[in-house]
Amino acid sequence: MLIRIFLTFLKIGAFTIGGGYAMIPLIKREVCTRHGWITEEEFLDGLAAAQSCPGPIAVNISIYTGYHVRGKAGMLLALFGTILPSTVSIIIIAILFRQYAEQTLVKRAFTALNPAVVALIAVPLIQMAKKSGLNAKNAWFPLAIALAVGLLNVSPVYLILLTIAFAVYETRR
Amino acid sequence: MILLTMLFTFFKIGLFSFGGGYAILAMIRQEVVIHHAWITEAEFVQVVAISQMTPGPIAINAATFIGYQKAGVLGSLICTFGVILPSLIIMLIITMSYLKLKKLPWFQQIFKRLRLLSVGLIAAALIMIMGNAVRDWYSVAIFAVCFAATWRYKLNPFTMLILAAVFGMVFGSA
Repeated sequence: MLIRIFLTFLKIGAFTIGGGYAMIPLIKREVCTRHGWITEEEFLDGLAAAQSCPGPIAVNISIYTGYHVRGKAGMLLALFGTILPSTVSIIIIAILFRQYAEQTLVKRAFTALNPAVVALIAVPLIQMAKKSGLNAKNAWFPLAIALAVGLLNVSPVYLILLTIAFAVYETRR
Repeated sequence: MILLTMLFTFFKIGLFSFGGGYAILAMIRQEVVIHHAWITEAEFVQVVAISQMTPGPIAINAATFIGYQKAGVLGSLICTFGVILPSLIIMLIITMSYLKLKKLPWFQQIFKRLRLLSVGLIAAALIMIMGNAVRDWYSVAIFAVCFAATWRYKLNPFTMLILAAVFGMVFGSA
């Protein structure tokens, strides 16, 4: 059973390129449909928790599922399986990158990759904005955050702590 | 000593990375580029590109890559461990008590506010990277085409980046 958990999450970790949200449908298919380890409702609760907590969503959901299936041992194996493919592949790339970063071909590739990355971030920004309940009244808030962090280099840490404090204050009032 | 600083830094990044993937980038840049100057702005954009072409979450990929750049394989393992440790602790607590917590009004309100904050953080990542990555007509054109391809035609990010890399190799000037 523990081996199965590990192998399933290893597969999930290895086949989700693009990170985070790309992993969710695959995780759901594996743990709900294929193995029947948790129900769909439990998965959705876990997903909500994973999105609310700090850290990568895929990591959080694997911790949640692993724990549900087989306690702390299941949790650790699910987590280990999820991150192993990325850690190994990145170490290999980092080694190669150090040797080839100065090659003309690599430099040329990055002339197009850099603006492509900007597009890569712009698309989920619009999708997230739609899902977050953004409207004319509250748009100043993400805008202020973007300017403070993006232009003035204010650390997100303070802004996150302030936001949490404000939310608690609002409900206690 | 640097290993301890790296562990602590990535623990902090993990702890304050709400909203997943792209929202984490602002936090990583603040710590790694601005605060510690472990990598440059240009290298940061490269890290993001590489993270998106390899399997796994961006935060893990970035932690592993930056850790390796600074302190080899040991560094990459320490940074990765640091970034997932907060998830492990907090998710364990939440998993055991989520059903009770989600009924509390202040708990719901926190996450409603944090969702809006994440939008701001992604926009911040966009602003930071833009200055470095889009600076002439060539890069503006590539940005526009990539944006249209992923937004309108739902091209997946991996394929888009591979195509961009090939295009750059053929037409770019180093």
